[in-house]
Amino acid sequence: MSESIRTIKETNMENVFECEYIDGTVRLCTKNFAPGYSVYGERLIKYNGTEYREWNAFRSKLAGAIMKGLKENPVKKNTKVLYLGAASGTTPSHISDIVEKDGKVYGVEFSARVVRELILVAQRRPNLFPILADARFPQSYMPLVEDADVLYVDIAQPDQTDIAIYNARTFLKSDGYLLLAIKARSIDVTKDPSEIFKAEAQKLEKSDFDVKQVINLDPYDKDHAMVLARFKG
Amino acid sequence: MMKLYLVEHAIGSFGFDENGKLIDYVLNPKDIGRVVELLLQHENGEPFPSALELINKVKPEEIVIENEAEIQKLQVKATVKPHHEGAKIFRQSLAKFALESKFASTEDELYTYLYQLAFEYTRRKLRSAAQKRDLLAIQAVRAMDDIDKSINLFSERLREWYSLHFPELDKLLEDHETYAKIVSTFGYRDSITLEGLKSINIDEHTAKRIVDAASKSIGADISEDDINSIQQLSNTILSLFTIRNNLSDYIESVMKEVAPNVTSLVGSNLGARLLSLAGSLEELSKMPASTIQVLGAEKALFRALRSGSRPPKHGIIFQFPAIHSAPRWQRGKIARALAAKLAIAARVDNYSGRYIGDQLAEQLNKRIEEIKTKYEQPPPRKPAQSEKLGERRSRPEKRKSKERYKSKKNNRNEKRRR
Ligand SMILES: C[S@@+](CC[C@H](N)C(=O)[O-])C[C@H]1O[C@@H](n2cnc3c(N)ncnc32)[C@H](O)[C@@H]1O
Repeated sequence: MSESIRTIKETNMENVFECEYIDGTVRLCTKNFAPGYSVYGERLIKYNGTEYREWNAFRSKLAGAIMKGLKENPVKKNTKVLYLGAASGTTPSHISDIVEKDGKVYGVEFSARVVRELILVAQRRPNLFPILADARFPQSYMPLVEDADVLYVDIAQPDQTDIAIYNARTFLKSDGYLLLAIKARSIDVTKDPSEIFKAEAQKLEKSDFDVKQVINLDPYDKDHAMVLARFKG
Repeated sequence: MMKLYLVEHAIGSFGFDENGKLIDYVLNPKDIGRVVELLLQHENGEPFPSALELINKVKPEEIVIENEAEIQKLQVKATVKPHHEGAKIFRQSLAKFALESKFASTEDELYTYLYQLAFEYTRRKLRSAAQKRDLLAIQAVRAMDDIDKSINLFSERLREWYSLHFPELDKLLEDHETYAKIVSTFGYRDSITLEGLKSINIDEHTAKRIVDAASKSIGADISEDDINSIQQLSNTILSLFTIRNNLSDYIESVMKEVAPNVTSLVGSNLGARLLSLAGSLEELSKMPASTIQVLGAEKALFRALRSGSRPPKHGIIFQFPAIHSAPRWQRGKIARALAAKLAIAARVDNYSGRYIGDQLAEQLNKRIEEIKTKYEQPPPRKPAQSEKLGERRSRPEKRKSKERYKSKKNNRNEKRRR
């Protein structure tokens, strides 16, 4: 398998790598923190004695955002991340790869069905804490977490921006970052997505956030955007 | 006059003044089951006992809390402000406070605890949504047994087949997985290299012996077609191992969810086998300890009942390391102690789902230590005749418990499954 790899090199983002195949295709990948295990059927690549996992931009909005020109990735080595909407762990597992042993990913998810899968992923990753709870009620996980450098929100709820703001005010360090995935259709199906993105970004600006970038995730995710914002609160 | 900024965390309750200076704290018990219980009550507005104790100690005039639901439950004037000064200071330096308060002595220890706590908290919540998930664990452990049988069958075949080409390898490697990996990775014995062996994690010493044996092999030369077919079989074996590993993870996860207390005593595999022999968690929870003790040894038990000979001392729980590694005369006693704890564990798992696994395991270990010291010496020799009898019985018994005889009911299940 590894014969088809030409090179793997770190991108300008810490611990985010680019793998170039012999046939010229280039894909994102991360260093596997749970060697030997893939999470969602992604390819494992051995290169110079290290195992990497291909990071599929069609499956993970953070990878999509990076492909679409995210200027700065606040998720780095040692970062503490509060992740709302961890689902079965696709993106959380890559974030767990990036932050490594001394970083932490607190993964909050409220659907029992998917938490069961999240648990299987987290079993191999001592830096990923699976928390079955509703992001609308931060009191329930307050005693289990600590303040975060990055708040990652991907919950596809109509009031997700408000939920994100509430959680930021409870857990985000000042000057910490928010990564907010906005699904236009879950907010208002009748409006033009770009209008919705703008409105949500304004909401953030009014709540002590500096919006740094709004990235349209098309074609990786239709009618989705990723917002990167800095918290001044 | 004084205002106390209260922070409630899994590790304890901490109080700060308005300048963010730590005034005092009370730690929570370092008991995962207990703290999960407290967390669940806390969600319904119940303050931590450590918080109440802290308030009692400090006697502030007013307190600032984060969880609005607690307001009525506190005897002091309280205002609500999530992420107040104290909360910020505490949660931004969680590790520092955990170490200074001596809750943990290293950061690793703290995070390992919080990691386990998050799992137990989440599993506890899953459990209330769990219905009949014990049956999934049971099927999974049976599937794993089937896979193990297939792995053995195919591996024996692979060894015979590949031995036509490289007979010496068979003796050099006990482990089926490693053997299959070598066949899959290298194919022809001449392609085997020291570096290559090391890259699939074979130790230097064994690697050298393999390379050496390959160069002197007396096996026959075979064609590319031959080797391709052999490699296909070894690839199949390797993928069976992958499935087995995933299944084992899955069983562990489901078992910790549906029967965390049983699992903390005997681990997920043996735990699932007990469920499988009993038929379900509910069945297991209705069994007296004496039945659990001999689950899986039914044949020996019925024979004993018929012939009036001594009943078996243990069934499948013989697989428990503390039993099979103990001297023969201690085994029955340890088996009885374990079965007693298992009976309690199964009941708690089935009826309340509370996690008391740590305490149960601790009590069991204490009892095992007691048995080990109290019965360190073998019992005095009995008259020659009865000793002979005892020996004759004990050997077949051991074998049988390994073979895991199923109860009548399970035999029926077995048939259905086929
Ligand atoms: C689009 S998926 C997240 C995918 C994930 N972020 C990834 O990239 O791997 C949205 C998830 O948010 C969860 N969710 C929705 N509302 C929630 C809430 N209030 N609290 C916690 N999780 C929520 C859903 O159950 C669903 O699993």
